[in-house]
Amino acid sequence: MSPPSILLTTEATYPYAVGGVSSWCHLVVGGLPEFAWRVLPTHAGGRRPRPLFELPAHASLAGRIEVWSEQLPRRRWVRDALRGGRASLPAELARGLLGWDADQAALVDALVWCRRHPGLLRATFRSLHAWGAFVEELDAVLAEQPAAAGPAPQLDAVDAATLYQRLYWVARSAAVATPPVDLLHVTAAGWAAIPALVHRRLHGTPLLLTEHGVYVREAYLAAARSCAPPAERFLASRLARGLALATYAAADVISPVTSFNAHWERKLGVAPERIRVIHNGIEPSGDCTPPPGSRTVVSVGRIDPLKDVQAMLHVAAAVTRQVPDARFEYWGPPTNGQEAYARACEELRRRLGLGERFRFMGSTTRPLDVVRAADVVLMTSISEGLPMSVLEAMAQARPVVATGVGGVPEVLHGCGVVAPSGDVARLATGVATLLRNPGFAERLGRRAYVRVRERYTQRRCLDGYRDLLGELTGGTVAAAA
Amino acid sequence: MRPPAAVTSAEAGGIVDARLGRPAQDLLEAAVVLEAWGGVPSDAALALDAAILPAQVPPADGGRFAAGDAGRESGRASVVAEGVALLVAIVAVAVWAGPLSRQLGAATLEHTLRIALPLTLGLQWTLRSRLLGRPGGLRLLAAAWPEVAAATGATAAALAVAPGAGALAGAFVLIWVGGTVLARRGWGLAYAALVAGEALALGAGVEAAPSLAALAALVLAGCALAVLTATDTATEAPGRLRRALAAGAIGALLGGLLVGDTSLGWGVHGAFPGLALVPSVVGSLWGGYHLWQFHAAVPHGLRGVPLAEAGGRIPGGPAMAILRGALVRLLGATLALSLLVAAAARWTQGTDRAGLFVAFGAAALVCLLASLHESLGYPGWAFAVAAASLAAELAVNRWVGGTVPGLALSVAGTLGTLLALAPLVGRLRSPGRMLATALWIR
Repeated sequence: MSPPSILLTTEATYPYAVGGVSSWCHLVVGGLPEFAWRVLPTHAGGRRPRPLFELPAHASLAGRIEVWSEQLPRRRWVRDALRGGRASLPAELARGLLGWDADQAALVDALVWCRRHPGLLRATFRSLHAWGAFVEELDAVLAEQPAAAGPAPQLDAVDAATLYQRLYWVARSAAVATPPVDLLHVTAAGWAAIPALVHRRLHGTPLLLTEHGVYVREAYLAAARSCAPPAERFLASRLARGLALATYAAADVISPVTSFNAHWERKLGVAPERIRVIHNGIEPSGDCTPPPGSRTVVSVGRIDPLKDVQAMLHVAAAVTRQVPDARFEYWGPPTNGQEAYARACEELRRRLGLGERFRFMGSTTRPLDVVRAADVVLMTSISEGLPMSVLEAMAQARPVVATGVGGVPEVLHGCGVVAPSGDVARLATGVATLLRNPGFAERLGRRAYVRVRERYTQRRCLDGYRDLLGELTGGTVAAAA
Repeated sequence: MRPPAAVTSAEAGGIVDARLGRPAQDLLEAAVVLEAWGGVPSDAALALDAAILPAQVPPADGGRFAAGDAGRESGRASVVAEGVALLVAIVAVAVWAGPLSRQLGAATLEHTLRIALPLTLGLQWTLRSRLLGRPGGLRLLAAAWPEVAAATGATAAALAVAPGAGALAGAFVLIWVGGTVLARRGWGLAYAALVAGEALALGAGVEAAPSLAALAALVLAGCALAVLTATDTATEAPGRLRRALAAGAIGALLGGLLVGDTSLGWGVHGAFPGLALVPSVVGSLWGGYHLWQFHAAVPHGLRGVPLAEAGGRIPGGPAMAILRGALVRLLGATLALSLLVAAAARWTQGTDRAGLFVAFGAAALVCLLASLHESLGYPGWAFAVAAASLAAELAVNRWVGGTVPGLALSVAGTLGTLLALAPLVGRLRSPGRMLATALWIR
């Protein structure tokens, strides 16, 4: 009998980018060989991406969705010509994704049409009627003023065209064929969910959503932090909200990696009985070695506004005033598309006069070694789920100073220093205190190590998913030997 | 001190205003800000009511950007490179024509040019569409070497079986298309020097076949060096093959248009008609360079146009303004340089017939407009324009003959211009619609 098959859909992560979500994907896919995994990544167009993770033998790529590219879906000339386009499609998508009280079923109907007519999408979106209908509908959506939404900003022709282009790529993502599988496992309630929404409607396949960060929350945070004009912020956040709510509505089970996410999901309309928290897990180090005592502070993560690297630089400046021989190392590359942010961070590093006391180290393939060489591990993110970098530090018995975002306070309870996001003074005090008191830092690290062994092991994480995936694919699946 | 777990709407509104510097867009944004930056637990933040939202649309807070496309600058460089290479090629034809006619015979040279020029334009348009018109075009070219080698082999095979002058046409194509690559690398001057050296050699009586073969080999080696030493970064994948092939077909048809008029006497009348083509090529270059702002200038010009007018006509809008600017530059430069070339007629072997300048000017207009159609994603229409123009030229040749210099090309150019201009103006008069449905849905 063939093993149950699962389609794992990802967005800008596995297997083409490093980071917490990718590590989680690799752990779950690699650790559950009793399932046949198909991976469908969504990534930004451009050069053909190079996989950074080697898929195990029981997993394979099910294609890839390349958004913003020039490539066209396969066109069936005669059949497409006979059927014609659907001029109302962009308007329907605008209504379904931007409307405050959108009809999720109608939205998925429109997406299903895209799957059935991939060759007509370009012609549809290039049609003058489609544009006219879209502008009218968008105007109507903006004119609505639900109590919870407030007045919409004024959009201009370029904003409308920008949204129109994004909706085209939503339609293109929906049009991508998905293989027959027993379960759809979506890793973000955004673009990665689009092909799964269509598949579920067409075949009735159950859909599992694992949220690492709360997608809509992170999109709103990113928009709020950006210096973009109101219309641009509005479109980006509303589109994310539309995608997230459609995913929540379709998901049979949502398995957030932390209870923090579950609060948001419940408040956004998900019934509590559909939520099953499964914490991330890590293999703790066999021995509990003490910190090296070199006054090194390490951070591991992408260079991304969500990681608030600029706050970290300010923390470093504050700490080195108190502990002049402290050294900071930031391990991780810029997120694709955040190169300007990385440059701004480098500029800030220079302006703060940190010199060699704060170094951007680039990517690492050995994060555990990097963490083991730290006296303190620092995380300044403004949004997280249950960050692997924190678990990795705890698994190496290293003390952690982190912002209290996502599941971090839950994980570090009693074994780390937690400060509010953006609170440079508190973060710096935490780091400086630990550097000056190595005995205390070591005790804190040991407590973290014990907590990981008790509550956040890989085995617990994989057992949780094995049970849930087995249940959703129609039965209990025995663990592979 | 952390704010209290439960906050009133007024307090929450104050925290949000302080954190964002503006009111929240909706309750979800307020909740996110309060939870992430205000220390309010998510349950409490998400339980707030609409009293914290503004009743009026907040004023736009500046920071409008000019939506552009950085990658287009590379494309612009590619157009310039292609134009410079074409210009050098044409001047080369003009200067080489005399010695080559004497060595090879006028009929052979004319036949060679009739094969080589359309093929050159076709390959240049294909290369631009798929590789060179993109950021890091030379890197893309390097990565696509099997494809390029196969295309080169196919072209060579086709020329080998072409009746008469295949090898010579092959050398011309290699030299001219290679010139595009060298100019794209920024080595246009070196390329011009090579071509000028060949002109001196031919003028001095060096045998044509080996010297052209040597030049072709040098250009090929230069191309390899240009590609291998390219320092730019490819940030996009190659363009669609089907679209590149369509662009190549359009380019070939337009090349056919240039050599299809039998009254022009390519290869027969020495430097004429090559020199007569120079003004319109320079005009095309200038007009095309101006037109290349299209992708950045149209969204920039549409900023602030209300949504209600996004689908309507804006006759004086940014798209029409750019088209007008391009046409004025093309026509102005062509006219001014034509007068100059005509004035220097006694040194240019009689290149003073007004009909020729009109013919080449009309052809340049068709090329510019067809190119714009193609770049807006309407290659079918561009192809139809080029094909209709060529058909008209051949028809005039057949029924009127080559008695009036440039008549067939003038008629074809005028027809093509009208065919291309009418739908283009229709599209460009509604720039919002054109931006959304053509420029940004590629």
